[in-house]
Amino acid sequence: MDFAELEEMDGVRWSWMTWPSSRLEATRCIVPFACMYTPLKRLNSNRLPPPLQYDPVQCKACTSVLNPYCRVDLRTRMWFCIFCHHRNALPPNYSSITEQSLPYELIPDFTTVEYALPRQRAAPPAFLFVLDTCTRDDELQTAKDYIIKALSLLPPETMVGLITYGQNVHVHVIGYTDCAKCYVLRGEKEYTTEQIKDLLALPSGMPRGGAMNGVPGVNPAMVGAGRFLQPASEGEFMMTSILEELDTDPWPVPASQRPKRATCTALSVAVGILESTYAGNGARVELLVGGPGTVDPGKIVALELGDTVRSHSDIDKDNAPFHASALKAFDDIATRAVNAGHAIDVWSCSLDQVGSYEMKSCVDRTGGVFVLSESFEHPMFKNSFEKFFATDATNQLAMGFQSSLDIICSREIKIAGVIGPVASLNKDGPSVSTDMEIGIGGTTSWRMCALDVNTTIAAYFEVVNPHSNPIRDDQYRFVQFMTRYTHPSGQHRMRVTTTAGRWTAGDNIEAIAAGFDQDAAAVLMARMAVYKTENEDSFDILRWVDRMLIRLCARFAQYDRENPDSFALAENFSLYPQFMFNLRRSQFLQVFNSTPDETALYRSYLNRENVNNCLLMIQPTLMSYSLSGPPEPVLLDVTSIKPDRILLLDTFFYVIVFSGETVSAWRKAGYHEDGKHTNFSLLLQAPKDDAAAVLDERFPYARYIECDQKGSQARFLLAKLNPSVNHHSAAAEYGGSDFIFTDDVSLQVFTEHLKKLAVSSQ
Amino acid sequence: MFSWFWDALSYLGLYYKNAKILFLGLDNAGKTTLMHVLRDDRVALHIPTQQPTAEEVVVGNIRFRAFDLGGHAAARQIWRNYYAKVDGVVFLVDAVDRERFPEVKKELDGLINDDMLSDVPFLILGNKIDMPRAASDEELRSALGLHHLTTGQGSAPMADIRPIELFMCSVVRKMGYAEGFRWLSSHIQ
Repeated sequence: MDFAELEEMDGVRWSWMTWPSSRLEATRCIVPFACMYTPLKRLNSNRLPPPLQYDPVQCKACTSVLNPYCRVDLRTRMWFCIFCHHRNALPPNYSSITEQSLPYELIPDFTTVEYALPRQRAAPPAFLFVLDTCTRDDELQTAKDYIIKALSLLPPETMVGLITYGQNVHVHVIGYTDCAKCYVLRGEKEYTTEQIKDLLALPSGMPRGGAMNGVPGVNPAMVGAGRFLQPASEGEFMMTSILEELDTDPWPVPASQRPKRATCTALSVAVGILESTYAGNGARVELLVGGPGTVDPGKIVALELGDTVRSHSDIDKDNAPFHASALKAFDDIATRAVNAGHAIDVWSCSLDQVGSYEMKSCVDRTGGVFVLSESFEHPMFKNSFEKFFATDATNQLAMGFQSSLDIICSREIKIAGVIGPVASLNKDGPSVSTDMEIGIGGTTSWRMCALDVNTTIAAYFEVVNPHSNPIRDDQYRFVQFMTRYTHPSGQHRMRVTTTAGRWTAGDNIEAIAAGFDQDAAAVLMARMAVYKTENEDSFDILRWVDRMLIRLCARFAQYDRENPDSFALAENFSLYPQFMFNLRRSQFLQVFNSTPDETALYRSYLNRENVNNCLLMIQPTLMSYSLSGPPEPVLLDVTSIKPDRILLLDTFFYVIVFSGETVSAWRKAGYHEDGKHTNFSLLLQAPKDDAAAVLDERFPYARYIECDQKGSQARFLLAKLNPSVNHHSAAAEYGGSDFIFTDDVSLQVFTEHLKKLAVSSQ
Repeated sequence: MFSWFWDALSYLGLYYKNAKILFLGLDNAGKTTLMHVLRDDRVALHIPTQQPTAEEVVVGNIRFRAFDLGGHAAARQIWRNYYAKVDGVVFLVDAVDRERFPEVKKELDGLINDDMLSDVPFLILGNKIDMPRAASDEELRSALGLHHLTTGQGSAPMADIRPIELFMCSVVRKMGYAEGFRWLSSHIQ
């Protein structure tokens, strides 16, 4: 089965295609019944018709949407809900349909359709920039330049606003152009939402949810907020002149101290402005931060430099005095943003930590993005920022706002939960599993304040059908995803994907095994493992990953009991152990040599990207370039290093071009420049071109490194390779091929142990 | 005799202090590998350190709070932020990478002459002596201009002299650095 092809149909990838029909048998499959779903995936026009300009027809009993799997009786004008089996009458305007003239949502190929709901358009999205001024002059200058650049990229009707902060928080008035005015709030003080409203003279009690419910709203620019938020076309001039005049925070900083930086208060004020004036409309806060918070409730470190920013070991050992209070302060802000439907994006540009780890709920619960760069000057910031604000051919941003996801499923299954950049909308219902919760559960509805074409949620299900109630082989299980969102054009959209799958008897292991998608399964397990890091000890999580792998192999591999040599995995399981091997070693579960901020970034992307990208993060791809043939993929193994090869490693977060010893010697000798060795200069260029193509596509912009074998930067590659040859096994005096200094076990040793344990378990 | 004395002190909790030490040196000198070996007694290969990390490690009977700071040129900009309240500096040198000895010397001289570190003991570790081409103790001393700087490998406290000494080691073979740390801890007030 080509699962990637199936993904192109609806944006869905299941861990298992064929499900056992009883709860008992389901639990014996180890890997949960789950899928990765990309709600806004770009689909081919033969799978997704143009937006339907009418309301969906919904089941009166369970609100599911009419779809190609529904039986429609054209004679009696009735349709039958596939979920609750309710008989519904077709609406009057469907009276003319026949077998030959079906509406799009009933045509079998269109299991995914998107409705452009006939409602008044939503107000244009708002972007509120929050800029840290406690940075070096040159850093601030670049940050300012890029905000100005963003203003020019944004569609002219987009609302924009500006807050700058250091020790205090400056809310700039851009609706008044005669002179620069701003409201100054004390950074150290903890303000409630009400206080922020009072101090900024913002209206309270704005009509909520205007955009979501299609209620015609008041133009938000006119009611007090107009001072702080203006359409880009009008506010650009004022914002640009404010930014051009802006200097670094004027308060003196003693040599032994950090600057007083009130990041949390600034963010709280930004969210306060948006929630009181723009709730229910699409909005994002763009936080550009250059250092750690030091004075407000979200501070992560004291002012004195002698006091150092918390590390993973400090947090583990309860030795991080500000951690818990900062976490709570940012959590509270996240909750307010989620309630208003606004996303928070954090652009952290600093050589040291800024406290992203404490801010992670602001980003991860709102569907925002994290970008981590060592400086505002670095391409990782510059290129990511530009790409984020880029518009498409129709001058629209590539994102959706104010989104919610609803899941409806057949009675034989229940929803265990979702892992992704979402927040629960706490909507209980009969589809909610009562005894299994994976990720964010207890609901059939989740909010995504913002999403893009890659945003992918992992949805987990539980088979609840009792053993005593056999399901016929020709019966289907159904799951429907309904994603409501505001298109950047202001159109209210609803994308509906309906999926159908087969049941089989629980003892029909062949049929179940044949439908195993190891890529999707690995990512679904990885998301669970990372979700567990919130509450569980890392050692326990590694044990859990191992246990699940051993049990899966014990159940689905071919072997004779107690005979490891007889162990064999079917092709569609064969890579799975390697995925788990690499997951165990990955920066998602091993935090040594990462700061909490870095860990927060890595995990945030595993939590939001699609199967391919997540798999890349778990197990990078390695391509080899040589003079002896075209580029080819090679094993992620130290033996793939050869003196006459160039290797291209893509780990999602960084892209490495690695030259073997001979190649780098020739390059240093300038062979590629003398005109006689065109093949060699082409060889040098090919991986760079391919890397450039990858970087061009990637968000966030990846760190790009060119390095040579045995060089310092080669570690970016070596750290990701399977250490099949290490410094113990390498030839004496380290001659011969390359090897890795490590006591870590190799994939071969790992697999041997797995075989031994799998054939002896049960 | 001496180890008995240490054990007794640690039993009394006198020597079990949290000393703040910094791991400094150029990129690829072995700072992170050393940190990992001290923490888990295992060798592992890591990507170049980006943001500074910290771990609690115990060597002998002394508990250190060790800071591993990135060694590449950009990361060196923030070394200074970590100088306050430092009890000791562990400066690692890749003894194989002769091409970079001048760069090492420049960074080391800068550190030794920094006012904020003027009374902080320096343990210089010449790492990677397991490699056949590694520089010798003598070669490294002259390349880094240590001859008139170092204060000897003795552990007796020295009045008014800032202790600086070179120890050759191989982190991946787990040899040499323990003597260095023992020396360093005897000079941490």
